[in-house]
Amino acid sequence: MTTDETAILDTEVAALPIDDGVAEPLEVSAVEPRIYEIGYHIIPTVKEDDVEKTVGEIRSAIESAGGGPSSGGKATFIAEGAPSLIKLAYPMSVREGEKYTEYDRGYFGWIKFEAPASMVAVLNNALKSNLSVLRFVIWKTVREDTRAKIKPPTMREVKRTDIIKPAPRRAVAEESAAPVSEEDLEKALQDITTE
Amino acid sequence: MSNNILTQNDIQYVDYKDTELLKQFVSPHGGLVSRKRLGLTAKQQRSVEAAVKVARFMGLLPYVQK
Repeated sequence: MTTDETAILDTEVAALPIDDGVAEPLEVSAVEPRIYEIGYHIIPTVKEDDVEKTVGEIRSAIESAGGGPSSGGKATFIAEGAPSLIKLAYPMSVREGEKYTEYDRGYFGWIKFEAPASMVAVLNNALKSNLSVLRFVIWKTVREDTRAKIKPPTMREVKRTDIIKPAPRRAVAEESAAPVSEEDLEKALQDITTE
Repeated sequence: MSNNILTQNDIQYVDYKDTELLKQFVSPHGGLVSRKRLGLTAKQQRSVEAAVKVARFMGLLPYVQK
């Protein structure tokens, strides 16, 4: 190993926040706002009018978790996907009181927001205690829209040599499209008959 | 020719909500397809794996397709 390589390694180690004595980088990242996204399923037994109310609860949970003075920052909403009833890929069971209930569909929606890292745990607890939320995920993401815009599959162009050219046919069609006077028509008919 | 779907379509981020895209990275039984088959870069494969696993947790993709 050359001296240059060791120098690079040393700087890398110094930049890592796992050192016991250097806790500063961790604290800085905790205060710095990050972009998160919450994906959630609302239980299908909730009436359609009340779904908005549940979303409002989630939104207020984000605001209260990120906007408190103890967290040192506030949450700002970036984007949102309205909840819509979808069929789940597999039935999910949730404990409701003393028994488990299985659901095979749910209102799936998502909210993207900016908030300090310290609020994630608070938000996690708030959503866990919300009985209308079937399941949720807090996902660290980026500000840009991450949903892919796939181009429709295009056919590969192949050069063919055996194509019959439609050019003469088109010429005939154009001629027939033009208005023909009766005199011309008779002349033409006579020409054909004399031949 | 590489069959890297992400590079061909200029996709920077893989979203767990994009089930139509993610379905191209899982086998008919629902399992993740290897990087060797997909032709993805290591970084892309990691992001695809994470997205598929979250999509499964959220019930958007099946764990096992029977």
